[in-house]
Amino acid sequence: MKSRLAADRLRDLQSITDAALAYLPLEKLLDELLTRVVDILGVDTAAILLLEDDDTTLMARATKGLEEEVERGVRIPVGRGFAGRIAATRRSVRILNVAEAEVVNTILREKGVHSLLGVPLLVEGEVVGVLHVGTRHERAFDDEDQELLQRAGDRAALAISSRLSEQERGLADALQRSLLPSLPELPAISLAGRYLPAAAARLGGDWFDAFPLPDGRLGLAIGDVVGHGFHAAAIMGQLRSGLRAYGLDGMSPGVVLERLSSLLRQIEPGRTATLLYLILDAHGGALTVASAGHPPPLIHPADGDPWYVELPGSVPLGATRHPRYADLELEFAPGSAIVLYTDGLVERRGEPLEAGLDRLAATVAEGHEQLQQLGDALVDVLLPDGAGDDDAALLLARAMPLADPLVARFPAEIESIPVMRRLLARWLMEAGATRADVDDLSLACAEAAANAVEHAYGLAPGVVELHARTGKGIVTLTVRDFGNWRSPRGIHRGRGLQLMKGLTDGVEVVRSDEGTTIELSRQLGAEAA
Amino acid sequence: MNEQPQSDVSYRDSVGVVSLQGEVDIVRAHGLREHLVSLIRNEDLGLVVDLSEATYIDSAGVSLLFELAERLVERRLRLAVVVPDGGLVTRVLRIVNLKSVAEVHATVGDAVAAIHD
Repeated sequence: MKSRLAADRLRDLQSITDAALAYLPLEKLLDELLTRVVDILGVDTAAILLLEDDDTTLMARATKGLEEEVERGVRIPVGRGFAGRIAATRRSVRILNVAEAEVVNTILREKGVHSLLGVPLLVEGEVVGVLHVGTRHERAFDDEDQELLQRAGDRAALAISSRLSEQERGLADALQRSLLPSLPELPAISLAGRYLPAAAARLGGDWFDAFPLPDGRLGLAIGDVVGHGFHAAAIMGQLRSGLRAYGLDGMSPGVVLERLSSLLRQIEPGRTATLLYLILDAHGGALTVASAGHPPPLIHPADGDPWYVELPGSVPLGATRHPRYADLELEFAPGSAIVLYTDGLVERRGEPLEAGLDRLAATVAEGHEQLQQLGDALVDVLLPDGAGDDDAALLLARAMPLADPLVARFPAEIESIPVMRRLLARWLMEAGATRADVDDLSLACAEAAANAVEHAYGLAPGVVELHARTGKGIVTLTVRDFGNWRSPRGIHRGRGLQLMKGLTDGVEVVRSDEGTTIELSRQLGAEAA
Repeated sequence: MNEQPQSDVSYRDSVGVVSLQGEVDIVRAHGLREHLVSLIRNEDLGLVVDLSEATYIDSAGVSLLFELAERLVERRLRLAVVVPDGGLVTRVLRIVNLKSVAEVHATVGDAVAAIHD
């Protein structure tokens, strides 16, 4: 019965390598392939088991005559039993009598399978699964059977590998997209970010983030998780969550890094990651930075050459048990820009790192007016052929000079108040206000904004607008909302008005159908009382 | 202007002393309210809020102090506030007339002594 004619054999092979199979979805393709294998080889059972992501277990995906195997989600450890041995050795295995062999899967026995033949599914020499067939009667599978089954296995492996890489690419894209933040829109601070995946389109470990802190300052981070693939990306997601949690709690950058190092050691011992975290007080003209083994940021003052921050030596997150990360405080004058990057941006094969750093500084020094243009230029110059073996990330921030009059809009929420206050403080300082002017007017403005936030909109989202202008030594601030006025309740708001009056020379409240406008004015040059 | 407000608590001669540093503003006030009330022990005579290292206080922070004073009066306890020498916080507390509900002093020692009086 096994002495098939050459013509039959050719037909059988064509049946298995049929190009039309490629148009079927994977599950259907495997099913159809098994049907044909059962038919051609005259066997009672057939099964395809695929290697799980952990590389240590096989799981049944398609079967003929062994349906329970899929239903029960049978898992076979690699190296054990019939299929496990095939996966471990990458060689075909024949079993004449199941009763006398080591078989992990009890379903084979339950189903009365007597003889087995199995082949590995190989993609570029790597095992991705196992294909096996069985008979209820005793059968000595021969070389020809094995060769045919291996052809079927190769066809399945091809389909599986293209399907997996397609899925992986889709997932990788989705994951990477979800991990790249949408940068916050902030008054007088410009931000730009770039992410370049590695050439092999592998999922990388580079990431960045930017988020406003409760006190109105801005948290900026860039990092690189060692390794590639989903696992590295998942770790990066956890680090990002941790960073935001600690950062929003108001911890200093150094403390945040210390916490994250412990977190990383707990999530995954042995994994390391570099990370640079800084708090930018654009309106206070300062920044605080700490680094965990990450390359230094580049600062470009409005009226000078770019320079690399000299960071104290540090270890990556997760590298040692109780690392200490020092905070470094720096001036950051209005108009300055800061460039954060990962090594993928500056490293080029066969070239010292300094060359890449010099190119980065030289490109920044060209003085691009818009940060988006600078981002494009940096990518063009540093990675003219796209990212190499490593992915690359870039985050840019600039404190924009403020105009007179100043116009800025904020979401009508409590968190906007410190941001507005800091922005106004900087504008007032640039307008030549004294410390007392700055303090008093910032507070009065914050009270006007709090009034809008608490009473104009209730639960609905809205906008608060700030206008500030100087003329003849007098500052006039206008805080507008566009909501329906609801009377201030309680003595709390009464104190807000009391403070506005006490801290300025004039307060005017105008209510209309379009919203409420509070105008505050004060003569500049006051010394603290 | 940059630091997050911290609060350090100690007890001296049956008086709780809590130091609020940095900015006591609308963002922080809600969380502080519960915290401050929880600091008062049954055996205490009163509470001292030390604002000598506070850099900013808004109407929400001021309301917190007034409310605290009210809660203390209900329990027959006294509130004393230490204010910095000059600056925004001093001006604000003068405008809202904090003296009408609390003892206002220049040092923690004076404030503790005033509660014992």
